[in-house]
Amino acid sequence: MSAHSATILMVEDDPEISRLVADFMRREGFEVACVADGKAMDTMLQRVRPDLVILDLMLPGEDGLSICRRLRADDSLPILMLTAKSDEIDRVVGLEMGADDYLTKPFGPRELLARVRAILRRANGAPAKPLVRRFAFDRFVIDLDARSVETVESETAALQLTSAEFDLLGCFVQRPRRVLTRDQILDWTRGRSAEPFDRTVDMLISRLRKKLDAASPGSGLITTVRNGGYLFTATVKQVS
Amino acid sequence: MLRVTLAARLALIGLIGFTVVVTVVLAIFYRTTVHENELTRPSPARLDVLATLLERMSGDARQAVLDAVSSPQFMVRIVPSAAPVSGETPSQQQQLRETYAAGLAGRPIEIVSPPDHRAARLFPRLARLMANAIEFRIGLRSGDLLVIDAYTRLPVTQLGLPVGFGAGLFGSIVALLALLVMQRETRPLAQLAAAVDRVDLSTDPPPLPDARRSAPEIRAVIAAFNRLQGRLAEMLRARMTLVGGIAHDVRTFATRLRLRVEHIPDDAERQRAVADIDDMIRLLDDALLSARAGAGGLSQEMVELAALIAVEVHDRRVQGKPVGLVTDERARNVVVLGDRLALRRILANIIDNALAYGHAAHVRTALKDGAVVVSIDDEGAGIPVDQRQTVLEPFHRLEKSRNRATGGAGLGLAVVRNLAEAHGGTIEIAAAPGGGTRVNVTLPVFQPV
Repeated sequence: MSAHSATILMVEDDPEISRLVADFMRREGFEVACVADGKAMDTMLQRVRPDLVILDLMLPGEDGLSICRRLRADDSLPILMLTAKSDEIDRVVGLEMGADDYLTKPFGPRELLARVRAILRRANGAPAKPLVRRFAFDRFVIDLDARSVETVESETAALQLTSAEFDLLGCFVQRPRRVLTRDQILDWTRGRSAEPFDRTVDMLISRLRKKLDAASPGSGLITTVRNGGYLFTATVKQVS
Repeated sequence: MLRVTLAARLALIGLIGFTVVVTVVLAIFYRTTVHENELTRPSPARLDVLATLLERMSGDARQAVLDAVSSPQFMVRIVPSAAPVSGETPSQQQQLRETYAAGLAGRPIEIVSPPDHRAARLFPRLARLMANAIEFRIGLRSGDLLVIDAYTRLPVTQLGLPVGFGAGLFGSIVALLALLVMQRETRPLAQLAAAVDRVDLSTDPPPLPDARRSAPEIRAVIAAFNRLQGRLAEMLRARMTLVGGIAHDVRTFATRLRLRVEHIPDDAERQRAVADIDDMIRLLDDALLSARAGAGGLSQEMVELAALIAVEVHDRRVQGKPVGLVTDERARNVVVLGDRLALRRILANIIDNALAYGHAAHVRTALKDGAVVVSIDDEGAGIPVDQRQTVLEPFHRLEKSRNRATGGAGLGLAVVRNLAEAHGGTIEIAAAPGGGTRVNVTLPVFQPV
């Protein structure tokens, strides 16, 4: 399929921006459908199968991140996120949530067109490359899907972690070298862990620290920072 | 100035009060008992009568009188006179002797200290205190010598300690306990001060420790601080919400505008309109970042500063701008804990300032005293010494015209200062060797423990 006949679904709550983008993209030869929120998007998706979704981060009702996560869980629909904030955090989070690219408001139409074409090209070239979630740090390799931690040298299990400890380590590995507050850690781990995991972050971290230190002495991977934050100091690389 | 803790002050107040009370009580005591002290010393008249009585008697009768008047405090005996009474008296008793001599109707009298006993030799001061002894030697007209040992014994307890020693000891212990209690009572105040210092309004403030067993006043202070903290956090949240809301809406309008601008047919006009929108958003970003820095809302991550600087420099070189970069060997791998976006904004603002007003930027990174110093020099006219501090204030510009063509809104350096200070760093404006402006940004180096 050629990019010029591609269908774009625009999820954006500001009607003017929707209209302006739609006008422009139509002139460039795209089919464009516009909806204002997540609910309308769901209805639309039952009738239309778009080639790409342009998704605003700040939406009334269900926010862009949550929609993005939901879409990504179902299929490999390419997503371009529009963010109002220029923070890199949003980029990290957005890409982790499965967005293919992002664009900061205000954006020029040509910029948008370039991104859209790039995403469509990638989507056509390599159909749905499975997202690998294997990361190397210090002397370990963690596989978030297989839920295993191995050492770089041998592919034997290096750490015996409980489910909650694994989630915690996963949380750190995906946000390395950043100070995480207790509340943030709680927010990011609670959703995925079946175990009760409330005010025990400190205890859990001290247990994880001990296990990491035992397996890699003197590495000091988790540092405590002023005001009760934690910092994973290792550099993390994605591996295949 | 000497710092005296509240506990010490209270203790001092107590001690001074106690001392004053004791002094007054002692003064009153001595004023009222000084007569009694005199009375414990036999009066001259009494000695005169005793002497006269004894002179008239002899033998058994004399002994009976002696037995009758003697007591441990007033021991009377008669010694057959061996040597005549010399009348010699130690100088300090001279006045006393004259008083007695006048009352004894011409009988010779000597006043001496009693013979030493062992205790007096070992503890002369204590012995004198305890005995307060005095010996009268009076020559009787019958030729005998009347010797009277008068004691004013210090009363002692059954343990042999002076009366009041126990009371003093008890008082000291009570005072010590009181001091400890006071320390304990004032400790919540010190804890409160420490807790208030730790208050970080960016997160949900934890309530200050409630000292449940403290004085009501201290608990009231703690409760008041808690309420103040809550109100401040509420205000800060409201402000952040407001700023965030404005930023979002302005961005929405700017996005519409940016899309509409595409319809301007004239290329040059369109470029200028796009640049205006970019400036506007940059100003908004600066204000937002600055507000977040003030509210402690910046993120903290380990940032390789040299690499970050290299990217900023590279971006400008690609645009054909003259930017030099020198990085000291030791500063090459330095890590700063901070907000990547904010750090980039610090560098970008200073470098762009240098390019806008000083034709070129020369960036140098070095380590100094455990901090990393980024110096950005330009080749402009420099900033006069008296203006170096004021250019760091918001909306201050060297030209007063506020002409947007020659510069920004004047927020740049103020934002840089805010952001640098939010990272525990400083910004300083100096002179570059070539006469231009030098801006030094100092940031603490992160060292994981």
